Amino acid sequence: MSKSKERDCRRFFEIVPGFLSWGIIFSLVFLSIVFPVACAIIIISFDFYWIIRTVYLTTLLIMAHHQIFRQKGRNWLELCLRLDARRGWPDLRQLVIFPVCNEGPEVLRPSLEALRASRYPKDKFIVVMAFEERNPYAHENAALLEKEFGSCFGSYLSTFHPDGLPGEGRTKGANATWGAREAKKLLDSRKIGYEHAIVSCFDADTCVDPEYFGCLSYHFLVSDKPHQASYQPMPVYNNNIWQAPSFARLIEISSSFCQMIESMRLEKFVTFSSHSMSFKTLVEVDYWPRNMVSDDSVIYWKGFLHYNGDYRVIPLYITVSMDVAYSSNIFKTIIVQYKQKRRWAWGVENFPFVATRLVKNSNIGLFRKTRRLFHLLESHVTWAVWAVILVLIGPLPIFFGGRFFSQTALAYNLPKITGILFQFTLFTSLTWIFLSWTILPPRPRGIGWFKNIILVLEWFFVPGIILVVGSFPALDAQSRLMLARYMEFNPTLKGNKVL
Amino acid sequence: MFGRLRKKHKETPAGVRVDPVFQGARFFLFFLSLVLFFGGLPFILAFALGYKYNVRTMSFVKTGLIYIKTQPEGASVYLNGRLIPEKTPASIEELLPGVYRIALTMEKYYPWKSEVDVEAGKVSRVDKVILFPLKPDLQRLNQEGFDLFRVDAEKGEVYYMDREGRIIYRSDSAGENFEDIASLPEKFGQISGWDISPDRGRLFVYGPHQVSVVSLDSRSNYEYPDSFVNLDYSREKVIRVFWHSDSYHLIAVTNRHVAVVESRALSKPVNLVELDKEPVEVFYDVKRQTLYFSDSAKYADGTPRKNLYKLELSPELYILERLIRKTDE
Repeated sequence: MSKSKERDCRRFFEIVPGFLSWGIIFSLVFLSIVFPVACAIIIISFDFYWIIRTVYLTTLLIMAHHQIFRQKGRNWLELCLRLDARRGWPDLRQLVIFPVCNEGPEVLRPSLEALRASRYPKDKFIVVMAFEERNPYAHENAALLEKEFGSCFGSYLSTFHPDGLPGEGRTKGANATWGAREAKKLLDSRKIGYEHAIVSCFDADTCVDPEYFGCLSYHFLVSDKPHQASYQPMPVYNNNIWQAPSFARLIEISSSFCQMIESMRLEKFVTFSSHSMSFKTLVEVDYWPRNMVSDDSVIYWKGFLHYNGDYRVIPLYITVSMDVAYSSNIFKTIIVQYKQKRRWAWGVENFPFVATRLVKNSNIGLFRKTRRLFHLLESHVTWAVWAVILVLIGPLPIFFGGRFFSQTALAYNLPKITGILFQFTLFTSLTWIFLSWTILPPRPRGIGWFKNIILVLEWFFVPGIILVVGSFPALDAQSRLMLARYMEFNPTLKGNKVL
Repeated sequence: MFGRLRKKHKETPAGVRVDPVFQGARFFLFFLSLVLFFGGLPFILAFALGYKYNVRTMSFVKTGLIYIKTQPEGASVYLNGRLIPEKTPASIEELLPGVYRIALTMEKYYPWKSEVDVEAGKVSRVDKVILFPLKPDLQRLNQEGFDLFRVDAEKGEVYYMDREGRIIYRSDSAGENFEDIASLPEKFGQISGWDISPDRGRLFVYGPHQVSVVSLDSRSNYEYPDSFVNLDYSREKVIRVFWHSDSYHLIAVTNRHVAVVESRALSKPVNLVELDKEPVEVFYDVKRQTLYFSDSAKYADGTPRKNLYKLELSPELYILERLIRKTDE
């Protein structure tokens, strides 16, 4: 395929998700005006589908939650030590990369402290604090943290990613790749085989569970094809959850739940945020993408393509905790959350990335290719349209239907059936409320007991915020991709304190 | 299937992979969801479109429904003489097309009966029914004798006029707080009409040849004749009088003129329009400050014809004032 054809092919796949999402929305609005009966039938069908889907996904959430609690407190290190040495435990190293953009020591220190508190031999750790050279405080912060934590681990590296290297964007992937390459030099100098190193790329605010590396090592060592897998912990946003406003807290808890649900759907499971993988594979796939925003998921697809589809994500039912993104007032928090969700939704760039490569790959079967592409496309299109259909398009047939439609039984039954169907979601909502309660960290001092009540009551705001963080950011991201207005990495403002 | 999975799971070190039992349960749930969706959707859509499964004919029949709403709510509903369990507002669904007798009953209210035509797939709405009480809630409001009254719905007040005693009373809409608020001028002959000013500070009464304005301000002493403003119309016959929205000017329509006059002593009317004939109908739109009146005019062929005229008073108010001043001078 010539370069121009390849470019055209890529543009085509960039347009597809946005075109489909807007097409669905406009078609339904058009139908509600010219043929409200058809629109009402589609809406009732969609509502029914959505209820069944919600119940199904909530059941998966319960299963994932059960797995987390079942594996909680397990001594993974002991399990590793019990394994046959031939499996590779003695040689195993943990390369931990924290790509840092603008985060200061107040964000990084808790992450390193959590790492230091891990129940895992510290001499096996190679910690890479990957700073951006363009950050004027990078060297100062690096020195400060090195002084504090430099001697706590087997190796400790501070790297400084130069700005504006050819072929790079200002992305987290570019910085992480720089850090990984520096770590590779270290491994080479110590003659540590890449196959013996597991690399974990963590967001700067990621605080790991003390058992995380034991759990990761164990899964890696007992896996059939350990290098053909990524390892995905369950992200929770517990670092500052008690301090965060309801709005932000709800969104992040929902995000955690979505990730937990995804972990039960292995055939669709893709890496997200903080994750781990074989360093050997990372080198073979030429590291994280250096000009794409969604490096966390693209790295999975790079592995998938490299191994001709024989690559998977193994869920680790152990949590890594991050910060809830929020700001000093509700409006600023909405903007922060919106931008964060838009960045996540920018994961739609995976679709053209994967589709163009799958078209060329003849080693993966057509069915498998189509299935994976469909899953990828369907998840992004659904993300962009579901809240719009439920909240905004739902009432349109009655609004535009006119006198004729208002006299039909369908017009009378539409709100009635929708109401009955959504009463079922009450049960799922109660389940979500209960589960959210169980994953909360202990209430810190200074936070009143009434906060517990607020944590329950705030779930009633969900219908109001699903549009803000449900469909709109995804529609925004897809429209940008469709119009070739590519996004740059926009780091979320994070911190335990109010910004 | 689950037994085999469980066995396999036992052979694998604990917690290494997602529990196969969960994966098995997940696939079971997934297919159950599919069955539920594709099995349930036709029934939901059929119900939404008004279809009903007829057991006798073993087929779907398209039905209609009747929606009934009454004021007050809670009336019993009889459909073809049979009481239905729901009270109003009620919807009677799955009705085969045809004509149905509906009766609505409620204790202490007149019953309501009608026939309703039900069409397939449609809603027949009976939603504008008002049930009237058998014993109307009748109250006497006045405490003194009176001849005329005015209701100020906006403020919830009632004004009464006793022509013989020449007294104006006022009460609230419940007949409470009854009080004398003004007296009519002496030697006022026949009263053709009266009205309260928009600011509720004055009222005018008019007869065929006389217009008087009475202050309702409690601070002024209405016993003093000086508080009255009497406008003499001995040469013309007063047809209608209206308050201008400023509560100061009066619009007087006589058999000869449409005039504007200030409600102060010794003011003189300004005739805005000279009428050909006595107007039969007059209407004043207070909000838009526009007067509508009928008058006749002769066409080019000499035939008289009645016309409806519209006189906008608001924009010209400052001109009126200048005109009035000029006339006074």
